Amino acid sequence: MGRASYLWKRTGFALMTVFVAITFNFILFRVLPGSAITRISRVPNASPALKKALEEQFGLDRPIWDQYLLYLKGLFTGNLGISYSNRQPVFDNLMEAFGNTLPMVSIGTILAIILGIAVGIHSAVRRGTVADHVSTNLAVLFYAFPTQFLGMMLLILFAGVLPSAGLHDPFAIGMTPWEEFLDRAKHMILPVLTLILTLYAENALIVRSSMLETLGEDYVLTARAKGLSRGKIISSYALRNAMLPIVTMVALALGAIVSGAILIEVIFSWPGIGRALYDAVLQRDYPMLQGGFLIITVVVVVLNYIADLIYFKLDPRVVD
Amino acid sequence: MSRKTTASTDPALEFRNLNVWFGSREHKGRFETHTIRDVSFAVMPGERIGLVGESGCGKTTTILAAMGLLPASADVAGEVLLDGVDIISKGEAGLNPYRWKDIAMVFQGAMSAFNPVKTIGWQISEALEVHRITSGTQTRQRVAELLEMVGLSPEVAGQFPHQLSGGMKQRAVIAMALSCNPKVLLADEPTTALDVVVQDQILQLLVQLSIDLNLTLVLVTHDLGVVAQSCTRAAVMLNGEIVEDGPVDQLYREPRHEYTKSLFEATPNIADIMARPIEKKVPKPNLLEVRDLTVRYGNSAGSLSRSDSRPAAVDSISFSLAAGELVALVGQSGCGKTTTVQAIMGMIDVAAGSVLVNGSETVGIPDRKRRPLRRTMQMIYQDPYEALDVRFTVRDTIEEPLLIHKVGESRAKRQEMIEASLEEVGLTPASRYLNRYPHELSGGQRQRVAIAASIVLRPAILLADEPVSMLDVTLRSGVLDLLDELRHSHEMGILMITHDLSTAAEHADRIIVMREGKIVEDGAPKSIIDSPKSDYTKLLLDSVPSPDPSVKRRV
Amino acid sequence: MITPLPVSPASGETRRSGWLTILGVLREPTAAIGLGILALFSLISLLSPWLKPYSSRVASCAVFEPPSPAHWLGCDDGGIDVLSLVLEGGQVSMYVGFTAAAITIGIGATIGIVSGYFGGWIDTVLMRITDYFLVIPQIVLMIVVAAVWGPSLEHVIVVIGVLMWTYTARIVRAQVKSLRERIYIKRVIALGSGHLRIIWRHILPQVGPLLVASAVLAITVAIFNETALAFLGLSDPTAITWGTIMEHAFNRAAVSTGAWWAIVPAGFAVAFLIMGCYLFGRSIEDALNPRLKVSYLSPFGWQLRPLVGRGKDAL
Repeated sequence: MGRASYLWKRTGFALMTVFVAITFNFILFRVLPGSAITRISRVPNASPALKKALEEQFGLDRPIWDQYLLYLKGLFTGNLGISYSNRQPVFDNLMEAFGNTLPMVSIGTILAIILGIAVGIHSAVRRGTVADHVSTNLAVLFYAFPTQFLGMMLLILFAGVLPSAGLHDPFAIGMTPWEEFLDRAKHMILPVLTLILTLYAENALIVRSSMLETLGEDYVLTARAKGLSRGKIISSYALRNAMLPIVTMVALALGAIVSGAILIEVIFSWPGIGRALYDAVLQRDYPMLQGGFLIITVVVVVLNYIADLIYFKLDPRVVD
Repeated sequence: MSRKTTASTDPALEFRNLNVWFGSREHKGRFETHTIRDVSFAVMPGERIGLVGESGCGKTTTILAAMGLLPASADVAGEVLLDGVDIISKGEAGLNPYRWKDIAMVFQGAMSAFNPVKTIGWQISEALEVHRITSGTQTRQRVAELLEMVGLSPEVAGQFPHQLSGGMKQRAVIAMALSCNPKVLLADEPTTALDVVVQDQILQLLVQLSIDLNLTLVLVTHDLGVVAQSCTRAAVMLNGEIVEDGPVDQLYREPRHEYTKSLFEATPNIADIMARPIEKKVPKPNLLEVRDLTVRYGNSAGSLSRSDSRPAAVDSISFSLAAGELVALVGQSGCGKTTTVQAIMGMIDVAAGSVLVNGSETVGIPDRKRRPLRRTMQMIYQDPYEALDVRFTVRDTIEEPLLIHKVGESRAKRQEMIEASLEEVGLTPASRYLNRYPHELSGGQRQRVAIAASIVLRPAILLADEPVSMLDVTLRSGVLDLLDELRHSHEMGILMITHDLSTAAEHADRIIVMREGKIVEDGAPKSIIDSPKSDYTKLLLDSVPSPDPSVKRRV
Repeated sequence: MITPLPVSPASGETRRSGWLTILGVLREPTAAIGLGILALFSLISLLSPWLKPYSSRVASCAVFEPPSPAHWLGCDDGGIDVLSLVLEGGQVSMYVGFTAAAITIGIGATIGIVSGYFGGWIDTVLMRITDYFLVIPQIVLMIVVAAVWGPSLEHVIVVIGVLMWTYTARIVRAQVKSLRERIYIKRVIALGSGHLRIIWRHILPQVGPLLVASAVLAITVAIFNETALAFLGLSDPTAITWGTIMEHAFNRAAVSTGAWWAIVPAGFAVAFLIMGCYLFGRSIEDALNPRLKVSYLSPFGWQLRPLVGRGKDAL
């Protein structure tokens, strides 16, 4: 009972989830038969010395339980193995990719959430009007287009106007820091726009329906009886309470953000974590695949945990 | 805004030819319903008027129209005069300045009237600051003042709605309604969801406040007792019209309209029971015996922990029920009466004690053995609207127990039994009801169908959980009389749970009063009403609002 | 609860049977359009072998030939008629979507009903498992699993079906849990009925419409995921689906050559089908949601009507 014990429970759950994901990862890649990756040491073109070293490091000749312990130990020291493709430590590769993904995805997601909330409120408080029908059906339409399709359409539409691939112009030299910033910003426009178009619609639909649900609550009628203005009722009553389901739903939509990000990185050759995963799949670079899966899972679990904390802060009723 | 200075003889609030239609625009007039028909009445400053009627009579719609809170499907005509000014003439926008400042409202569900994520203090301050009554520290002082006025501690301001009990929340709602010193307070069933003792306290508070603040009070309720005890005047509504309007005393003593008369007749009055002669009974064998029954909280079926530190919801109670006897189990919500019945039915785990049905132990027997027992013991629930599966016809509903217990070998035989039990509960001719769905039945009819489904197996014991509390008062006596008849004709033992001492007194052979899991009193209705032994029973008796306005309660 | 206001005579009857809700929903244009799209797409995909104007395997025109009267939607990088591709791709994509949705509903409904009906530790364990599946990013797990097991249509179906049931399980559980508290269910339990009978006769019919809605919505997610997996090269390379059509176009430089007709038809086909599913599924869910029936902040207000005459027959 009590508010504090709720926090402990959620923390415990987040940690457990990470642990389950780690273990699942191990089972998927090392234990399940039929997978061609029971030998993590099969780095193509590796010297016999490297092979030997890796085999020892991961204990591939030892029982599965020992391997599991070694795997856990490796994780804690940031050792996820060696990438097949560039023979660099997986961890370093992923960290670099993650650094590229973070700004693009966070800007896109935050803008999509803001836009989604604005559109959703706008429709909900005008339920049944032409404005509501137009904005809701537009949202359904954008929700219905696959991310890769929107990305390709933007590529075709803005061909030549905006850069279509990469983080920055690889041939530009001697740019001032300001020019370099502008160049990077320009490269980010299309991927971010695609992400916004993919995500805003779902957010808008979620916000609209949770707003409509709260507008039917008795306290909204009380607020009207109190003589409050429409704007005040919308912000302090309807939206404030609708935020609760919105936080939950956005957290559940994290999976959509991840899949959107992967597709966008592939389309716009964005050297981020999604692209790394894609390359790993194409090149059957299993250590990278395994590492990428793990990192994305951990990030999503952490974000879910943050959503839990926000919910906790927003709702005074939450007790264990 | 400008307000006419008026002499005290002018009404504070007046309805003139108020009419409300619903659904006229949406369906282009096809399904228009004329919900309020030409309602006119006036309330003087400081006067308390009760707007009485059964569900759907339009009493809530009337006061929502005055606040301008009707939905978009409503069309309104007529005038609502506040100090002589028609406040609805400019539509909803024109009403906003009057809301809360001049006319405030207490809604029916205190549970959901507050925004769950804001503190009580925040919500009261908001009203004060929006209407520019106070600001800053002044506001905080005023909030504390208001809370004290309704009998709450000023600390409540920092609490969230879910941290308050139902009674406290209703007090807080009243504090919020009075925050801007309104002239008129509209209260929609302010005590309906509350316990009888708390209801009494809230009503006293409202009366006191109305006297102290010279507040005009319009009290909407279905309970004549509430009106008789707290209002000076009453208006009786039926099908959207006011059929009678006058001082409560006059309505009680010499009702002019048939409907008013029938309402008073249907409202139980403890005073009448005292006069009722007690029948002498031949002792019958005990059908049900409960001995030292204890149930602990959190002891849902299948829970593993067995620590005895958990508080007892039902604490070592014993009683019995004989054939042909109607025993009422009375108490406030949370007193353990529902838990007792659930334990008897074997729906929850029993911590200690025994429940004997026809002399054999039922505590701790496996589910498989309990199923045949269900035939001898049937249950009737509170909410007739919820008790029936909406997809089942009346026939299917009553046939289901027969199929479950494999009674009645042929379809024809079952049909016979179904029809017999329908006739028995007064749904005649049975053929008219067999193929109806629940939504085609009224609340009273639904409750009768539920009873028919319970008695079709010819159980020896009926457990009735507040069987009439959700029904309109004029339908109650019919269902209660039916129960009365069943125990006589079939020698059934009936255990009825109720929070209403007057209903219990009118129909039961014996009353058991429960409080906090214990039995505080057990005896014949007359002896309990005439000479209650425990203080708690006295408190309960005092709290029951009498429909007779001349019956003054202790204050 | 504040007494529900009489909104219109039709809404007085709020406890209608669930299936009637679906029929009632079809009176709304959005739901009818949604179901119409769904039916049209199913019909076209069934008839696609006969509707295809050209072979979807053999070249019938020039590389990236623009749309023309002979080839309404133009041709792709291999000189294959795009219309024929989209028709065949639709059949496979919808097969994947419907089958995966069926798996999803099967698992989700079972877990939801068992969890919601029995409660207690069974509920705790099942919901904990559901929570894990909810948190783990499904598409990434799908990528990993598809990559490990190798690309094939069956794997895609199984992976999508087995990973997507969490949403269904949660809403079904919530519904069953509230049904479990309904008096009529308690009454039937008190009558001595067995659990199977209650689930079969009383719970399942009530949950039915919700299952229809969630199945239709599951189709959208399954098709999305199929196109995503296909786009990443994890679907069967020999199968033609809307996903692989877009993947081919992208990888064979349709974007840089500006051959939008190689991409747009498949993209729009996906979008229309998903819109249809979404509109239909959402309408049912909304109709089943009692909290959407009342709004206390409608943009429309009540209106004043001039009073003609006085007395009871005033109008």
